[in-house]
Amino acid sequence: MKVIELIDVHKIYKTAYYEVHALSGVNLSVKKGEFVAIMGPSGSGKSTLLHLIGCLDKPTRGEVKISGIEISNLNDRELTKLRRDSIGFVFQQYNLIPTLTALENVELPLIFCGMNGGEREAKAKELLKQVGIEEVANRKPTELSGGQQQRVAIARALANNPTILLCDEPTGNLDTKSGEAVMKIIRELNKNEGVTVILVTHDPSLSDFADRVVNIRDGRIEVEDVS
Amino acid sequence: MYLELARRNLQRAKTRSILAIVGIIIGVMAVASIGIFGNSMRQSVLERFEDLADTIIVSPKHSEGFTEIDEDDIKLIKKTSYIDYAIPVKDKREMVKYKDSKAFLTVYGIDEEDLKKLYEPYEGSIKLKGSAVVGYQLAEDFGLNLGSKLTVGGEQFKVAGILESQGISVGLSPDNAVFLSVEDFDKLFDRGYTSVVIQVESLDYIDTVEKSIDHAVNRRDEKVDIRDFESLIENIEASLSTMTQFLTAIAAISLLVAGVSILNIMLMSTMERTKEIGVMRAIGAFRETILRIFLLEALILGLIGSVVGAGMSLVGGYLIISMMGFTTSYILDLSSVFYVAEGFSVGILTAVASGLYPAWKASKLEPIEALRYE
Repeated sequence: MKVIELIDVHKIYKTAYYEVHALSGVNLSVKKGEFVAIMGPSGSGKSTLLHLIGCLDKPTRGEVKISGIEISNLNDRELTKLRRDSIGFVFQQYNLIPTLTALENVELPLIFCGMNGGEREAKAKELLKQVGIEEVANRKPTELSGGQQQRVAIARALANNPTILLCDEPTGNLDTKSGEAVMKIIRELNKNEGVTVILVTHDPSLSDFADRVVNIRDGRIEVEDVS
Repeated sequence: MYLELARRNLQRAKTRSILAIVGIIIGVMAVASIGIFGNSMRQSVLERFEDLADTIIVSPKHSEGFTEIDEDDIKLIKKTSYIDYAIPVKDKREMVKYKDSKAFLTVYGIDEEDLKKLYEPYEGSIKLKGSAVVGYQLAEDFGLNLGSKLTVGGEQFKVAGILESQGISVGLSPDNAVFLSVEDFDKLFDRGYTSVVIQVESLDYIDTVEKSIDHAVNRRDEKVDIRDFESLIENIEASLSTMTQFLTAIAAISLLVAGVSILNIMLMSTMERTKEIGVMRAIGAFRETILRIFLLEALILGLIGSVVGAGMSLVGGYLIISMMGFTTSYILDLSSVFYVAEGFSVGILTAVASGLYPAWKASKLEPIEALRYE
């Protein structure tokens, strides 16, 4: 079953003076439970691709379907709902809310979907345990190492049981050891929980974790390697 | 949780938040203090006037050529229902001398018992047989004491009493006047009654009494003017209210400044937290959730500022009232509480209104743009 389907997707950014063709006729299908790595140099369009799959943006032309839903016709509220219920984000910069503790950061998406306090806290604790950092639950992001912060971010991304986990250079700011640990967690989630993972990276070594590597250059998919 | 999030966001920029709160405190304090001051001033002025509200003054209608009120008409007036008393008074401007002091003053001819009904003696007693009673200010200005011999119209009168200072008064102006018995007055001047001071039983009967007198005395000719002080008091009340409103409007400028400061602070905060807003939107926050968090922040600022400001306005009000020399007894009056509540509400409203635009702006951020923001 296809959870992600892109058909002849174009994305053009217009400024007052010029146009940037970030994506030019991209076709991509991802099945449920697949682990796909999207690789390419800076400016190749991989982040744009990730944003479209993450329902953060709409294509200029073409179709983007998430779990069979075509996103171009959705309004802001419907897109937000789709993101909340189906997609988890892991960013390179972790992007945790600095005023909240690790536990509260994980609780945040659960608040947005209206879960009550007790249930929310229990679930957030369980998720932190799953990523192996339950002991730092009450610490603020500034009191955590990079690796710990990224684990909190993963736990937060998993809060609403997403079908798709989008990882944008998740190890980009981590040392090798922490990076490996984070990648193992992501891989296990994919294997054990059946979460579909889309990983955007520069780092060729990370492609080993993926079932399939999609190379992108100048807004076009070049080669697809299946491992 | 949203409330907690808002609170922590404010705590993040503590100094900035405190400054915004101080702005609101000052604004609320200014608005409420001025309100309390205006109210106390109005109350104390009206208190003085309200004693006079049930008084009616009847005087000859000069425009119709009448300069005196007939004895028969006075009898008719005295027969009117719903009145406590009707006091006929004669008056004349006359040279009054004491030692080196002399001045043209009002000399009243009045019955001794009637004078007792109108005023209390400050010193001595009210006795008019061959003696005079003087107003407080006149005694001060001329240096009069009990027993001092005052010359009125060439005749000497011993001062038997000095009246209490009346300040604001209607009909008669006793503070700078000499009171003689009607007999003594008649010996000096050939003049009839020039006014009748009427005390009505209750304010409810003012109109009835006025109509009765008008009907009895002015039936054939318009002989007398009948005046009451209700409209005068209404005018004074309206003027004081206008003045209070004007002062409050000036004070409200400080609240406006506080509002602009909140607007500025929250716009800065929106900019600084652009990426966070993007993250929250990405992980499932609706636009209205962001709007709610920002408005809660403004509400917290407004609430703290308004509570403290409202409390301090009582102190501020007390200080202004004391400095201006009015009575402070109305500060805890229910009507003053209204001004505290007004300052409080306006403070909160200002804060929330100032937070509206930044909150709206934050909620309108596109998640993709916000996430890209560095």
